[in-house]
Amino acid sequence: MNKQQRLQHLYWRSGFGMSPKEWFTKKNHSTQIVIDELFRKAHQFSKKKILKNERGIEPSDILMILKLDKKEKRRQNKIKIETYNIDWILRSGNPKESALLEKMILFWHGHFACRSKVPEWALKQLNTIRRYALGNFKELVLAMAKDGSMIRFLNNQQNKKRKPNENFARELMELFTIGRGNYSEKDVKEAARAFTGWSSNLKGDFVFKKRQHDFGEKIFFEKKGKWDGDDIIDMILEKRETAEFIARKAYRFFVNEKIEEQNVKYLARVFYDSNYDIEKLMRAIFESKWFFEKKNVGVKIKSPIELIAGMIRIFEVDFKNPAALIFIEKALGQVLFHPPNVAGWAGGKNWIDNSTLMLRLNLANVLFQNSELNLKIEEAFEAQKKNKQKRNVQASVNFTPFYNLFKRENEKLLLNKMGDFILQTKGHFKESTFENFIIKNNKEDLVKTMCLRMMSLPEYQLM
Amino acid sequence: MKRRNFIKASAIASTSALVPQFLKGVNSTNIAKSREGKNLVVIQFSGGNDGLNTIIPYQNDLYYKNRPILGIKANEVLKVSDSLGFNPAMASLESLYDEGLMSIINSVGYPNPDRSHFRSMDIWHTASDSNEYLSTGWLGRYLDSKCSGCQSPHHALEVDDTLSLSLKGIEKSGFAMGNPNQLKRISDNKFLQSIVHHHEHDHEENVEYLYKTLVDTQASVDYLYQRSKLHKTKVKYPKGAFGKDLKQIAELMTADADIKIYYANLGGFDTHVGQKNKQTRLLKTYSDAMSIFVKDLKNNGLLDDTLIMTFSEFGRRVQQNASGGTDHGTANNVFLIGGNLKKKGFYNAAADLKKLEKGDLIYQMDFRKIYATILEDWLEASPTKILGKQFEKIII
Repeated sequence: MNKQQRLQHLYWRSGFGMSPKEWFTKKNHSTQIVIDELFRKAHQFSKKKILKNERGIEPSDILMILKLDKKEKRRQNKIKIETYNIDWILRSGNPKESALLEKMILFWHGHFACRSKVPEWALKQLNTIRRYALGNFKELVLAMAKDGSMIRFLNNQQNKKRKPNENFARELMELFTIGRGNYSEKDVKEAARAFTGWSSNLKGDFVFKKRQHDFGEKIFFEKKGKWDGDDIIDMILEKRETAEFIARKAYRFFVNEKIEEQNVKYLARVFYDSNYDIEKLMRAIFESKWFFEKKNVGVKIKSPIELIAGMIRIFEVDFKNPAALIFIEKALGQVLFHPPNVAGWAGGKNWIDNSTLMLRLNLANVLFQNSELNLKIEEAFEAQKKNKQKRNVQASVNFTPFYNLFKRENEKLLLNKMGDFILQTKGHFKESTFENFIIKNNKEDLVKTMCLRMMSLPEYQLM
Repeated sequence: MKRRNFIKASAIASTSALVPQFLKGVNSTNIAKSREGKNLVVIQFSGGNDGLNTIIPYQNDLYYKNRPILGIKANEVLKVSDSLGFNPAMASLESLYDEGLMSIINSVGYPNPDRSHFRSMDIWHTASDSNEYLSTGWLGRYLDSKCSGCQSPHHALEVDDTLSLSLKGIEKSGFAMGNPNQLKRISDNKFLQSIVHHHEHDHEENVEYLYKTLVDTQASVDYLYQRSKLHKTKVKYPKGAFGKDLKQIAELMTADADIKIYYANLGGFDTHVGQKNKQTRLLKTYSDAMSIFVKDLKNNGLLDDTLIMTFSEFGRRVQQNASGGTDHGTANNVFLIGGNLKKKGFYNAAADLKKLEKGDLIYQMDFRKIYATILEDWLEASPTKILGKQFEKIII
C-alpha cells in the first residue's frame, strides 16, 4: 500500500475523506505524525462548544415557548433542529474543522442514540458528547445518564422509588455498555432502583430528586450495597465484557463489519487497561498494522452522512440553500438527531435498497446540479415533483485544488490516477465505460466530468 | 406467443443484453414465472388512527361520557351490529362489510405499548417486543427466508418513493416505486447502464452487493414499467394520491405482475387538534378508494386470492382532549378485506371501555398473531422463524 492509499484510508475512517489540500500538506509526513496531528486538532476543537448553546435555554424562553400554540411550537422546533443538523453536517464536511472529532461524535451519537423534543436539549447533549468524545468513557456514560434528553427519552424522569421504570437501566446495560447476556433481569431491576430520582429540570440540567430516590440496599452483580447510579456504572465498567462490547462496536464502525476476534480482544485489553481512555482505544486502531491491511480498506458502505460530508469536503462546497440537505438525509435514511431508535443506525447493507441506491449513485449530480461542476450531463437525476423547490440544491464549489492535482496529468493515466484518489476500492471499469460520458473540450472540463462520473460509480459508495 | 408472454420476454431482453451472466440477479426463469397463488396488500394508516371513532360503540355510555363533543351521535353511525357501527364517512366500506368481504379485529396491540409514533411504528414494522430493537421488518425477513418464487427484488412492492422498514431484510428487501415513469427516467441513465455493462467480476462482497442491487433495480424497473402499461383499469378511482396508489396496485395485479406483496400508505391521522374534519376526510378517502379497488379486483377475478390488511401504529386515548382531538393511545382495530375470508364481520368483541390502563384500551390480540397467520396460511412461510417466536394463529 502506498503513502497516498494509507493516508486516504486513515482520513476516510477517522473522518470524511481527504481533501486535495490535505494531501498536498500531508504527503511528506509519516503516518504517525499525521495521526498525532489528527488527535491534537480534535482535542483543540473539543474544547470549543457549539456556539448556539452558550446562552443555554432560560426560564424566560420556556415562558415564551409555553405561550406559543402547539403547531407554531412544533414548527419552530423543527426549524431549530434542522439548523443544528445542517450546521453539524457542514462541520463534518469542512476541512478547517476536526474531522476526527466530528466522526467520533457521529459514532457516539449512534451509540447513545437519542431523540429530543426540545432542540436546545439536543444541542446540549451534542456538546456533552463533543466534550467527552475522545476523553474517558466512564465520564461519558455518566454524563449521558445525567443528560436531560436521555433522561426524557428513556423515561428516567418517571423512575421513582415507589414505581421504578426500568427503561434507562435496561438500555444502559443492553446497548450502552456491557451488552446482552452479561446481566440478569434481576440486575436490571436493581439498577433501575439505583437510578431512581435521576431527573432533569426545564433547562435540561440534571436534578437529583432525593425524595424519589431509593436509598435502600440493592443486590447488583451479586454484590450487596446501598448502590446509587454512579456505583452501578462503576460496577458495569469493572467488567471486562464492557470494554469488549465497546471495542467490538468501534471495530465494526471504524475498521470492518466483519469481526476478527483477535483484533477486538486486543482493543478490549487496551481499552480496559487504560481505564476506558477513548483516545487510547482509537489510537490502538489507527496505529495497528491490521488497520491498513487490504482486507480492511474500501470494504465499508459509507453511511449517508459520510457520503454527503465526503462530497462536501473534496470540493469545499458552499450551499446557498443547505436545507436541501435535510431532504437528502431523509431520502437516504440517516437524519442527524433522529436515529431510528435507541439502538442507533444498523449500518452496512441496511443503508441500501433500490431507492436509496439510485439516489446515492445520482448524488453528485444532485448536489452539483447548479454549480460550475455541472456541465449539463444529460441524464442527471430528475428532481421529483413534490417539493421541487426545496430539493433544488444551490451550491458553489472550489474546484481549483482538485484540478491542480490532475491538471498536469497525462490524459492516458488520468482515469486511473483519479480513480486512486476518489475511490477506496479498485474501480472495475475500462476507459470505454467513460468514453461517451465525459467532455473533452479542454483539460478542465475533462477533469470535471470525469470526477462526477467517478462519484456515480457503485465503488464510490465504499470507503 | 401470447401478447403477455411477448412482453415478458422483451422486458428480459432489454436488460439482459447488457448484463454479464454472473450478475443476473433476476434471471429469466424467475421473472417470466407468472404470479402464483395469493396476494397480500398492506395498507398503513400513519399517525395513529382513532379507532373508537372509526368503529363506533354507539350503545356504550362510557364512549359518550369520555367524548362529549367528539363522540359520534348514535343516529349518525352506520350501524352494522347491535353495538358497533362505522363512522358516517365510511358508507362505501359498509357495503363491503355487508357483502361479507370484511373482517374487523378489535383491540389489536402488543404488551407494554409505546405511545411514540416512530417507536410504535417500528414495533409494528419489525414485529419486535416493545423493549426489543430490530433493524429488519417482518416482510423483509419473509423475503430473506428464501420464500418460494420470490427471488425477484420486486416481489414485495411499496407504492412509494422510499421503502418502509417492514420491507427491509438483511440480504433482500422490497422494492419502492412511487411512480413507474419517473423511476424509469432515473434508471434509464445511460452511464449507469454502461457501468453495469462494463463491470467485471469482483470478489469483494459489498462491491458485488451494490452492483447486484443496481442490476436488479434496472431489471425490475424495466419489468414494472412494462407491466404498468399493460393493463388500464376500467373503473374510475377517486382523485388523490391514495386512489392513485390503489389503482397502480390493481393494474399491476391485473397485468399478472410477478409481485406477491403490495404496500401502501395513507398519512395524516395524528389528530390532536380538530379531529373531526380531518378524520372524516381521511376515512372517506380510504373507504371510497378501497371499495373501488375491491370492485376492480372482483371484476378481474382477483379478489378471492387477495387479502388486504389495514393497520395503524396505535389507536388514540379514550378520552377526548381539550383541543377537539385525541392524544396517542394503544390498542386499535385492524381491517381484513378479501373475497375468501373464513370469519366475516366482527372477529371479536368490542373494546372494553370499563377496563382501561392509564386511560387507554388494553389490547386483546397481539398483532403478531395476525402476522403469523398471514405468513403461514397466506404466504406459505414459517412464521416462527420469521417472527422469532411462536404465536397462536387466528382464523383468516
